Amino acid sequence: MDASDAPPAPAAPPIAAAPVLMRGHLHPGILLLRLLDALRQAAVPVAAGLLLQSWWFVGFGIVAFVLRLGYALARYITLEFTLTSDELRVREGLLERQERRIPLDRIQDLGFESSLLRRALGLSVVLVETASGQGVEARLDALARRDAEHLRETLLAARAAACGRAAAPTAAAADGTVDAAMPASPPAPPTPQPEWLVHRSTAGELTLRGLSDLRLSAIVVTGYAALQFADTFGLAVRVAGVARDAQEWLRRFPPHVVAMILVGVLFIVMAFGVGTAVLGNLVTFHGFALTLRGDVLQRRYGLLTTRQKTLPRARVQRVTYEQTWLRRLLGCGVVKADSAGGSRTEGEDTVGGWDVVVPLARDAAAHALLPALLAGLEHEPFTWQRGSQRLVLRMTAQGAILAAAASASLWPANGAAALGALALLPLWALLGALVWRNLGFALGADFLALRHGVLGRTTAWLPLGKVQAVIVRQGPVEQALGLASLTVFVAGGSPTRIPDLLLADARALARGIVERAGVAAAATW
Amino acid sequence: MASAPATATERLERRVVGYWILGDLLTSGVLGALAWFVARPFLDEHWDKWSSAWEHVLLGGLAGLLLLAFVVPPLSFARWRYAYLGDLLLLRYGILFVEERAVPVKRMQHVDLVRGPIERLFGLATLVVFTAGNEGSAFRVPGLRTDVAQAMRDRILQARGDGRI
Repeated sequence: MDASDAPPAPAAPPIAAAPVLMRGHLHPGILLLRLLDALRQAAVPVAAGLLLQSWWFVGFGIVAFVLRLGYALARYITLEFTLTSDELRVREGLLERQERRIPLDRIQDLGFESSLLRRALGLSVVLVETASGQGVEARLDALARRDAEHLRETLLAARAAACGRAAAPTAAAADGTVDAAMPASPPAPPTPQPEWLVHRSTAGELTLRGLSDLRLSAIVVTGYAALQFADTFGLAVRVAGVARDAQEWLRRFPPHVVAMILVGVLFIVMAFGVGTAVLGNLVTFHGFALTLRGDVLQRRYGLLTTRQKTLPRARVQRVTYEQTWLRRLLGCGVVKADSAGGSRTEGEDTVGGWDVVVPLARDAAAHALLPALLAGLEHEPFTWQRGSQRLVLRMTAQGAILAAAASASLWPANGAAALGALALLPLWALLGALVWRNLGFALGADFLALRHGVLGRTTAWLPLGKVQAVIVRQGPVEQALGLASLTVFVAGGSPTRIPDLLLADARALARGIVERAGVAAAATW
Repeated sequence: MASAPATATERLERRVVGYWILGDLLTSGVLGALAWFVARPFLDEHWDKWSSAWEHVLLGGLAGLLLLAFVVPPLSFARWRYAYLGDLLLLRYGILFVEERAVPVKRMQHVDLVRGPIERLFGLATLVVFTAGNEGSAFRVPGLRTDVAQAMRDRILQARGDGRI
């Protein structure tokens, strides 16, 4: 490790201008897309204005249309991207010029997205992600697909070279013989490396993914939104009227028929939800293929909107295998990967499935492909350990406190019926038992593995070389019981938490993790 | 790394208690003034259930806030420990919720030295260490003597890795 005590800038800026590998503009097709966008957005106020005989609306729509188109034109004319051997520069703006420079070795992820319309025009969107935590750092809205492919190839090759250069000093320090050859070699020629197919999703898997999708809440949300929409247009009264009519119509039938009708309606709604989920998954993840080329993972999928995304394997911060209770019963789950700067809520899918590595796989298949995501995981002899059984005690204690508080607050109004709240106590105890059953962790030489869940289960693997910090935390109840939770931070995704370890175990584990993190970090660089 | 430290051992400067009390008094003073001179007349006017009993509750709350400003800082000081040993920055603090944090120095992205106006009066500084990540990626060590904080920052910067993630 060289002692660079300069402020954060990692490497000295190159004095000689780096050679330009590629320079380009957006494809003119973007103007057509923007025109359609602007038309679509102007259509609503104009139509409303014509309908309500309000010229304000029409005027507003037209002005917005012109402004939008002008802005799009200005952006198109001014946007220029340049790829040099060590950075990607994107310059844009007419009045407020901005130039964004992204060092190649900081690029985490490259995404390609192409909606149906863009595909018809032969265009695709290029998304550049860095570790800034804001997701997409630069977005090239429309490149000809050939240009996009070329950009990716050039960028990947240049990045490999840039990272190689950054790693060179350490390599040279380890082995004096190479340093004569290293600096002289030009940016590595793009030697085509073989591409390995890691996983290809079958239609059956995707259908199963849709069938086991538990987000029926989405339907409720949609229904609520529709109701609100109806309300704003004064249709709510009519909806209420229809509901009253329906009620009266139902009242004519005997109760068991009414019950059957209601069950039937419920069934239709559920079937509709499952159907849309299946269809949505089949469309989004159509032909999903995960491949590994050199050290870069690549995903390709999509029927209407096609997406391609690369993820350098060295940038993976955490891999999770998520199973909802239904998927756990069926013996399958979803594999996801966090890269630095990405942020997502556990258990939820991001729009477009950007963080999904495998949409759905059987348990055995999923575990078999993990080493392709985390190199070296196959050599790791994990011995799983459980948390402390005092976890159940802690949950029960918390349930007792909760139940007592609930009963006490309900007592004045409800009298003895408030004692019903004491049912919280066994519920919490059961919850504690379930949590304890699913909780497990294993510390290997290079990886930390962790599984947790209540009915479903999430298993996570973290490379120890990526650990940023470790926290051991004790709340009041935990202090009384001698327990502590351990939280491990990596640069991507939400922190990984192991609850209810014995304090001594938690401390020992924390020390083991940070020591190995330090060693792994030193070995990597 | 055989001599890995078990726990953090260094204490903060004792005068940080005074600084914390002053800071807490200022915030509770502002809050109290707002509650008494803005919220009270407002409620008096617009809430028909407002009575002198509520006024007493408000007074009690403000008194409690004032009391906390004197009670919390000494307790917090008594619990605070930190250490910079080996390659690790170790912190341990908290009254109700006790936290022990360990940060491998090679992972740090950058280090800040913060000195607020009142902090400067007390000759104190806060060291803030940033790691890559979304949540909880900043680690603060308050109540350091300025020269100690500067020395620690320099040592951390020397041991720091190249910031790659």
